Amino acid sequence: MRSYLRNEKTGSQLNKILRVVRKEPTYLNYWNAYRRIQRLDLSSVTVPEEKRIRIAVLSSFTVDPLVMYIDIECRLIELHPETYIAPFDQYPQEILDENSALYSFNPDIAILAVHAESLLGDNFLPRFLTFTEEEKRKRQKEIIKHLENLISELSSRTNALILVNNFIVPTFSPLGILDNRISIGLKTFYQGLNSRLSDLFRENRQVYVVDFDGLAAKHGKDRCINPEMYYRGSILISESFLPVVANEYMGYIKALKNLNRKCIVLDLDNVLWGGILGEDGFAGIKLGGDPVGKAYVDFQKLLLSYYNRGIILAINSKNNYEDAYKVIQEHPNMVLREKHFAAMRINWKDKVENMVELAEELNIGLDSMVFIDDSPQERERMKQALPQVLVLDLPRSPFHYCEALQNLNDFNTLVISEEDKKRGDMYYAKKKRRALMKMKGSLEEFLRSLDIKAEIRYADSFTIPRVTSLINRTNQFNLTARRYNQAQVEGMCSQPDRFQVYTMKISDRFGDEGIVGVAIVRKEKETWVIDSFLMSCRVIGRGVETALLAKIVEDAKANGASVLIGEYIPTPKNQPTSNFYRDHNFKRICQKNGTIRWELDLKKSTVNIPDWVKVSYG
Amino acid sequence: MASNEKTLKEILAKVLILEENDVNDAVSRENTESWDSLAHLMLITEVESAFGVTFSDEDIIEIKTVGDLKSKLRKLGVKL
Repeated sequence: MRSYLRNEKTGSQLNKILRVVRKEPTYLNYWNAYRRIQRLDLSSVTVPEEKRIRIAVLSSFTVDPLVMYIDIECRLIELHPETYIAPFDQYPQEILDENSALYSFNPDIAILAVHAESLLGDNFLPRFLTFTEEEKRKRQKEIIKHLENLISELSSRTNALILVNNFIVPTFSPLGILDNRISIGLKTFYQGLNSRLSDLFRENRQVYVVDFDGLAAKHGKDRCINPEMYYRGSILISESFLPVVANEYMGYIKALKNLNRKCIVLDLDNVLWGGILGEDGFAGIKLGGDPVGKAYVDFQKLLLSYYNRGIILAINSKNNYEDAYKVIQEHPNMVLREKHFAAMRINWKDKVENMVELAEELNIGLDSMVFIDDSPQERERMKQALPQVLVLDLPRSPFHYCEALQNLNDFNTLVISEEDKKRGDMYYAKKKRRALMKMKGSLEEFLRSLDIKAEIRYADSFTIPRVTSLINRTNQFNLTARRYNQAQVEGMCSQPDRFQVYTMKISDRFGDEGIVGVAIVRKEKETWVIDSFLMSCRVIGRGVETALLAKIVEDAKANGASVLIGEYIPTPKNQPTSNFYRDHNFKRICQKNGTIRWELDLKKSTVNIPDWVKVSYG
Repeated sequence: MASNEKTLKEILAKVLILEENDVNDAVSRENTESWDSLAHLMLITEVESAFGVTFSDEDIIEIKTVGDLKSKLRKLGVKL
């Protein structure tokens, strides 16, 4: 766990306390962590401004447990909260008195948590049915006006982001099934309050209405209050509802502190579709149709809705690129297509490495990324290697994928622009432009990451059998495809004044490939001729062929040759090597009896070893 | 029975910010600073839900020490 805290001792104490909550996020553990942290002396701790947050809570009920939850939630994402709780039920005085402790606290966020019943008065429920429609409307107006006045006072005296909750619409009405048969039933009355509240602050840049009613409905309104806690301690939010409410407030806090996530990085197998593409094949994966397949389609639809909101989508998957790309573009039930992905890493590389590359390519921080993968091992690896990345704890069953992503309250921003909504398109266009230009760049990066070592030696009695075998087996990357038996190779090796036989061994960080390259040079006075040049297919494309050629050029120069000739004899299989010499700045000089000769003027030209290949000479 | 003791001890230690070894019958609201009214409510709620019991209002007021808490629990049929 990295820490921004400079005071190491307090920092490690803090982390130790938080570790318990992380592991087991129970109400009791939050309580324990909160109270223990309150006892720590955090004054000596240096915290950068962007990690600080001052939260004031103004409430009509005992709000300490909520503050406790928000405090710990902040600390879990490495924020350093300071909280202020206005004295119980004195929020109007605190707001109206410009010398109040609230204003000297100078909050970044002011949470106004008021429950409707405190504004409606004690006898509201028993008298509700005796009110005329006119009286009910008047009551609604009074309550909204009261809140509006308080909030306008508050916003004129502080720059804090102001969060005011709406009201939980009761599930009970004394009218029962007839509640919506009168013009303003009890539920309609509350709904009216909520819609006025929303209308009032819709365009407001400082005040946001927190949808408490929606949260309560999601949690289950019967479970939102614990009667024991309410009657004994005026605690209005039950212990099971607390994390839900705190999570909602955290959505605003993260948005304010720019801790929102901007990009969802997706695995493919068992994330966008069911099954393993490499095993089940294009027609065998589950996408649409059966129950499991439907769940994956729905998950993709949810992702598409995020895309349309401006969240960037990317892929990080271990698969054959061509196979996966075919599914993305051609599978009839794919909802997301190539154009929805700002960047893709479909390969067999380490996902952590891919993740870092994706962040670079998209030019966003790892701390803006969410990673979704069905493999617990990949998730754990990502968490450990890149703790900045938010790793979604994906449920085992795809039926619950949507729910898990929906519960992530990390994509919020305080405003949304038209540009935001088009962000996906913009990234796609950028990707297209970059693709051609960047091909070389990203390939080099990849090659560099391989840590390639080439060891070039002259063939000797130990290596001649392997050299002979390569000469006779290699078809594709073989410029002349001349075959020699072992005796012939031995003969050439024994005449160093006329022939030079090279071997090249390759290794990289994944292992040792052994001898994979061979070249035979004929020395003719001032001219060296490359009689044979061949390489095992599995190392092609890494620049090692250039390294071997560079060594020949170097030797030729050192031995006083002025010209190096490369020969190319086309065969049905070696077409990919036809431009090898041209690509290394050789000039084509003639074609005779099916042999094409290329020439390099050693006085003017040379061949350089690619800088990602480390060459040693035996 | 031993496991009831252990559960209670864990709750008390966590609510009152004590080491489990320091939890004994003599720990009281008077001699324990962290045992304030919110902590008291927290303690009551956690104990009630852990043992599936409900304290009466009198019980809640009369619980002033860990010993008191235990005797009220025994009265409610919890074996300690």
